Amino acid sequence: MKRNHFLLGAISGVTVAASNDSFFAKALAQPALPGMPGSAGERVLVLLNLVGGNDGLNMIVPHGTPEYYRYRPTIAVPPSDVLTVNEKIGFNPALRSLKALYDRGEVAIVQGSGYPSPDHSHFRSQQIWQTAAPESYESTGWIGRYLDGAALPKENLWNGVAIAEVLPEAMVGRSVDVPALSDVRSYGLRSDRRLDDRNAFTSLLSDQRVPFSSPYLAAVTQIEAHAQRGSEQLPKLIAGYRSTASYPATPLGRSLALAAQIIGSRLGTRVIYVQHGSFDTHSSQKRTQDILLEALSNALVAFYDDLQAHGNDRRVLTMTFSEFGRRVAENASRGTDHGEAGPMLLVGGGVKGGVYGEHPRLDQLDNGDAIYTTDFRSVYTTVVERWLGRAAHGIVGGSFPLIPVRA
Amino acid sequence: MSSIASGRPAGRLDIARALQPYHGPWDLRLAAHLLRRAGFGGSPADVERFSRLSPSAAVDALVGFDPEEGLADVPPGIDTSQYERLLLALNRNALSPQQVVQMLPQATQQMAMSSAAASSDVTIAAARAALSRRYLLPAMASAQRWWLGRMLLTQAPLQEKMTLFWHGHFTSEVLAKGTMPREIVAQNQLFRRYALGNVRELTRLVAQDPAMLKYLDNARSQKAHPNENFARELMELFTMGIGNYGEQDVRESARAFTGWTLRRNAFFENPATHDDGVKTFLGRRGNFDGNDIVEIIFQQPATARWFAGKLLSAFLYNDPEPELVTATANLLRKNGYELRPVMAVLLRSNVFYSNRAYRALVKSPVEFVVGAFQLYGISDVPLAALAQLARMGQTLFRPPSVKGWDGGMAWLNSQSLLTRENFASALLTSPLMPPNSWISDGMPADAKSAAARLVWMILHGDTSTASLGRLVSYLEGDETTANGAFSGENFAERIRGAAYLTMAMPAYQLC
Repeated sequence: MKRNHFLLGAISGVTVAASNDSFFAKALAQPALPGMPGSAGERVLVLLNLVGGNDGLNMIVPHGTPEYYRYRPTIAVPPSDVLTVNEKIGFNPALRSLKALYDRGEVAIVQGSGYPSPDHSHFRSQQIWQTAAPESYESTGWIGRYLDGAALPKENLWNGVAIAEVLPEAMVGRSVDVPALSDVRSYGLRSDRRLDDRNAFTSLLSDQRVPFSSPYLAAVTQIEAHAQRGSEQLPKLIAGYRSTASYPATPLGRSLALAAQIIGSRLGTRVIYVQHGSFDTHSSQKRTQDILLEALSNALVAFYDDLQAHGNDRRVLTMTFSEFGRRVAENASRGTDHGEAGPMLLVGGGVKGGVYGEHPRLDQLDNGDAIYTTDFRSVYTTVVERWLGRAAHGIVGGSFPLIPVRA
Repeated sequence: MSSIASGRPAGRLDIARALQPYHGPWDLRLAAHLLRRAGFGGSPADVERFSRLSPSAAVDALVGFDPEEGLADVPPGIDTSQYERLLLALNRNALSPQQVVQMLPQATQQMAMSSAAASSDVTIAAARAALSRRYLLPAMASAQRWWLGRMLLTQAPLQEKMTLFWHGHFTSEVLAKGTMPREIVAQNQLFRRYALGNVRELTRLVAQDPAMLKYLDNARSQKAHPNENFARELMELFTMGIGNYGEQDVRESARAFTGWTLRRNAFFENPATHDDGVKTFLGRRGNFDGNDIVEIIFQQPATARWFAGKLLSAFLYNDPEPELVTATANLLRKNGYELRPVMAVLLRSNVFYSNRAYRALVKSPVEFVVGAFQLYGISDVPLAALAQLARMGQTLFRPPSVKGWDGGMAWLNSQSLLTRENFASALLTSPLMPPNSWISDGMPADAKSAAARLVWMILHGDTSTASLGRLVSYLEGDETTANGAFSGENFAERIRGAAYLTMAMPAYQLC
């Protein structure tokens, strides 16, 4: 397996060797790792899924690489439009507001994230990123595994929250039921029935003395009770939060506004999942992706404005991911097909802004695709160990070098 | 918090008696259990009718269908020839994107135009998307409703249940990799024809099925560049499971399937792209083709165990004991992989009617929705049911991955259960409810009898006396002033409320 040796030795205070399990054994023995700003208990990780396979090359643009312009005669971002980071890369102009955040040192770019033998199907690739398991089929997700093992109050319904219609695989655990909700209004019983319904409901749902036994009875009972309790609790718990941030009127804007509300209401939440897309730009890519990137940029900036106004920005780290990058060469429809490696962004939470990892070489491709330089499980490991304060080995399914994204 | 359920029931399995025929007491409750598993629950009249048969006669009635009879019915609205004609014209520049869009209905046109600055800016991609919205999505919905309607109204419920089983096993996906609704329906008819047929023959035909050839890329597999996708999944997910073959077997069997492709939308064995060299597969050597590979796979003991495990998990309980898997695998081999006699043994067995299997599975969204329609005698599947099913986590013809639906815990999360509850609530007050349904017509007027009847009809008695008492209180209006006491005026509303509460109970989520 390819390793990211350039990262090794760059990590202050910790001696790491790739594939050295003893380090992780040590980390397991000391689950609470030293903190970044705020105490570990207050930190929140926000996962932002760029659904559909985001074209990383037109997001963080390699304007210093001639091959980029050769491969993309019609859809490349012209050098004069690039918001320059250095002589090699820069931001797509649709990310202007995010670039300002980068210039303040609050955005880390991890280049060339991927994994060995990449899959090109949306389903399987999503599954791989959500379960952190490229080589096997896992029934739990990496955040689910984190929540399973974290020392969090088990009676709290809000340790993890997915702002999505269907519970993402990343949040599936063995012993936790993460609520999935698309918005507060739809998360609830639509029945207009009255108070006596609800009372009857609560007691009927907890009926355990039934004349049969079932391996699933306890789980159904628990999840139904959580769903009912949660859908009644949530609107009240977050009602006191006021925000003046100007979120864009997009689904992601609404999701992040709700995320800030949940974080600001201090429900003990450690992980929030949101999604944005679809980035599956097989044709006429520029129009679609620019709209999506601008929406991403403005929503993220509003999110951090909101968090900052409530003193929460330093305790919230946002990590973006996407199931794959896209083919380096544009196709005949001015779009791009499914590819491999792409950048991940880490925003806020006191990250040390900058550029990490190597950019995939565009003069050496894997069947037309960019070859990954950083295993995405390195980023997960960094987030789990250095932000959430847990040993990552069992959560990401192996030992991966940390990325020095913190001061 | 409770931990995730592995699905295996607690207690010890009596393996010596497990597959022997059940001769114990027979009642409505066990008849309902049989109809939930071998069908979608059935109507109250079906349950009643089956409770008057012997267990053996009840199973005979379920397994004894004529598979050809169900095949005459074909879905309306899945002809996509107009789509294909326009797409071809678009791709060959015979029609411009604007011209194509202008041929579509006003609403579709507006959607296509909304992303364009001027009408002359309509791109090929926008025109393709508009075509898909106009023709493909309705055709897919039509196919989905057709199948749900079959599940709902069929006289051979086990045929539809097995068709659903095979769809989740030999997965393919409509609108993926160019798979047209009519192709997924043709595959569905193959599953229906072989619902209880020979598993080996079905596997051989699945390998030649157009939707499968597209879904797992075998249509593009050629001697020069074998595509291993189908060969791998054939062994990993369809017949044997990981650990029973090596990477070399994947590569060699992929060579054997090269040239199995499509010509004019039908299976075609292309001699020009087929590798007819010698292959070594699972210890055998020969100039194998796809049929030989399937034959060799079905000579492996692992294959019988794989299908045995899948059948037991779908019809009895999850994570079945290895000795039960062995006994069922032996049965499959003894019957030469003919499924009808094997399913008859399973559905008649002691273990099937034991506490181990009773309510031991989680209802899938399709079982939940179709079962609710059958319960109240609703005879038509509304379009809106498709969106509800998607929110519950199951879209027919679009399984989440090549692995199909995981079932069990995967059906259970707060959003999907709230969706089930909201579905039940909406259903009970919807105009779909037939006026002569048992719930509107002939319910006893006193709260005690009404509650007892609801619990029998919906849960076949599977509730505690305490919960029954609470339903009585609810019906009597003890805790409210809003509705007043149970009376002629609010009778119907109270009954519907109590039915909703009963359908929300954990027992009703179980199969």
